[in-house]
Order: sequence, then structure tokens, then C-alpha cells
Amino acid sequence: MGTFTGQTDGTARDALSLHPRSARALPSIHEKTKSFEGVPRRRGVRKFFSHWVGRGFLILMLVGSALITAMSLPYFDFETLPPFVVEKLPLKFEALWLAALRVHVAAAALGFPLCLGLMTRALQKRPLWHRWIGRAAGVIVLFALVPSGFVLSSEAKGGRIVTVGFVLSGLIVGSAMVSGVRAARRRDLTSHARAMRHVIGQMSVAVVSRALIVGLDAAGIDPDLAYVVALWAPVLATVAVVEVISRRPMAWSRHRVELVERITRELSPLALVVRIRAFVRPLARFGR
Amino acid sequence: MLLKPLAERRSGRFSRERPAPHETRVRVPEAALTRDVGGREFVAFVVDVRYGSKWQEDAIVGCAYRASGNLFIERDNEYFPAALLLGKQVNAVAGVCRAAPARS
Repeated sequence: MGTFTGQTDGTARDALSLHPRSARALPSIHEKTKSFEGVPRRRGVRKFFSHWVGRGFLILMLVGSALITAMSLPYFDFETLPPFVVEKLPLKFEALWLAALRVHVAAAALGFPLCLGLMTRALQKRPLWHRWIGRAAGVIVLFALVPSGFVLSSEAKGGRIVTVGFVLSGLIVGSAMVSGVRAARRRDLTSHARAMRHVIGQMSVAVVSRALIVGLDAAGIDPDLAYVVALWAPVLATVAVVEVISRRPMAWSRHRVELVERITRELSPLALVVRIRAFVRPLARFGR
Repeated sequence: MLLKPLAERRSGRFSRERPAPHETRVRVPEAALTRDVGGREFVAFVVDVRYGSKWQEDAIVGCAYRASGNLFIERDNEYFPAALLLGKQVNAVAGVCRAAPARS
């Protein structure tokens, strides 16, 4: 295949022109070179785009998370209620609801950037850091973010359909976090990655949904309808996108294989045995 | 008195709060003054808001007292000082904005 490159058109044809059928089937050198070079080029382009789409998503989510945090600071003003809360007044359990709102906002402000950081190659290359930050993020999500979200969903704007949307999103986050942690503990890194993508995906709904609310308002859509669409569309779309990404056959690069091997080694009890042996052997030799 | 501070408070932010209306109008359904149970005169008002081309009537229902200038708004069949809309924690006020029963 590659040997044709550098040869003239005539030489290549002459070399294979002994059989008339093969000569007929042989495309020109120009075509051949194009078709063989196209495969790695296309792969390269796809890799380039998937890399930058992933990076772009992380950056956008970080910016969105920072914006939401900045906009949510008035929730911690105990004298004045923010407009989002005023719209809901009077509430049945106002003190509980306000406490849940503050816990939810604080947990999201901490948990979402941590989860985004855990998706970066920089932290995935450092298994010890990844594990400890992952534990912190897991605790925040499971014991603060999700339970407070359930409390808030009971008084969601837009009625039951919105409540169900928030509860569904919370259930996905909670169950994916539990199954992701369990997968990590049994060293099933593929399932771990899939579950954590669901967690990140549902957390990203907070950003996408707000962006949609702004966009639909600019388009003159009724805010009540916009609120429902801006919740349900990202919740369902995110589940679909994560499943598509997770089921896509991955060409594992040498770099990625090395990374997974390294993480597995870090998690493996064998590593402990090897370390103990490395410590004991010289001592045993010393004792002889 | 009410709409300007409300408009200043909303700023079309990256939040789950209801977006600022594209247009707002105030209506006074009955021009005549009404007396409440305490004998104070008030006038009822409603605020309509527009999103896109659609007007949503009675987005805010309330009343204004002539002598004091106090404003009250209705939530769940109770009347609260209008400061509630600006985030102040206030309690419902009994007997305001309700016409006194007609004497026979």
C-alpha cells in the first residue's frame, strides 16, 4: 500500500499490469494515496473534535457553575429574600425550604466543580487525588445535593410535571453516583466512567436549563412553558447523549491503556503485596 | 412606587427566577374609592405583564390606601405589605383591601 507512494503513476500501473483485471481494478496513485491517507486523517480530525468538544464542555460548565454560584449569593442574605423565593411565597414549610435551598446551592457550588475536575485527564492521571476528591464529591452529592434537591422539588414552579422532572434528575444523580462508586470499588472502570458521566450530565442540566430559559425568553416563549421545556429537554437529552457516548466503541490509545493500567494498579490489592515483598525481601536477604 | 423597584430588582439573570416581563401595565378596575372595615379609603389595582405577544392579566393583585399611600398585594387570599415583593419578610395584614359590608 504505502510502497506506491513516491512512485510515478506509470511505474505502479506497470508493476501490476500483468493481470488485466488487476490493472482495471487498480485506481490511480493519486486516488489510492487519498483513500489510504484519509482514514488516519479522518480519525485525527474526529479525535481533535472530540477532544475539544470535551474540553469546551468542561470549560462552559465551569463558567456556568461560577455564574450560578455568583447569582445564588443573595440566597445567603438572611434579611432579604431573593426574587426566586418571593415568587413562591407563602410556602408551607418556609424555614425547611429555605434551609434546603441554601444547602443545595452550597453543595452544588462545591460539588459541581469538583466533579468537573475529576473528569479531567490531569486528575485521572493522579489516582490518589482522584480517589480522595471523588470521595469528597460523592459525600457532597449523596448527602447534601440530592436530599436537599428532593425537598426543593416539592415546591417547584410549574407544578407536578416540574416536580417529577427534578425528582427524576435527582434519582439519576443518586443512583449513578452509588453505582459509579461500587464500580470503582470492583475496579470496573468502564462502568465507573459511564455512571459518572450520568452524574455530570444531570448536574450540567442546571447550567443548560438556565441558558435555555434565557434563550426561550428572548424568543418570546411563555415563561411557564419555557420553564418546563428547559427542565425536561436537558434531563432527557443528557441521558441519551451519555448512553451514546458510553456505548460508542472506543479505540483505546496506548496512552489511555497505560492510564487505566496505572489506576488499576493503584486500586489493586496486589500492589500492596508487591510493596510488602519489596520491603521484606531485602530484609530476608540481610538475615541470611 | 412598586413597579420601578421591582424592575430594578430583576435583571434577566442566569437564574431560575421568572424572567423580567417584556412589558408591564397597571389597571385600576374601579376608579371609585372603597372603604375597608376600618373606614379607610383604598383603591384596588392589578398589574398585567406581557411575555412575547401574550398578556398575562392579574399577575399582581393589590390595593393602595389613599391617605397613607400604603400598598398591599394579595397572595393565597391574604394581603401582605407590597414590600414582600422586594424580599422583605412581612406578615399578612388582616382586614386590609377588603370592602366593608354594605349597611342596610
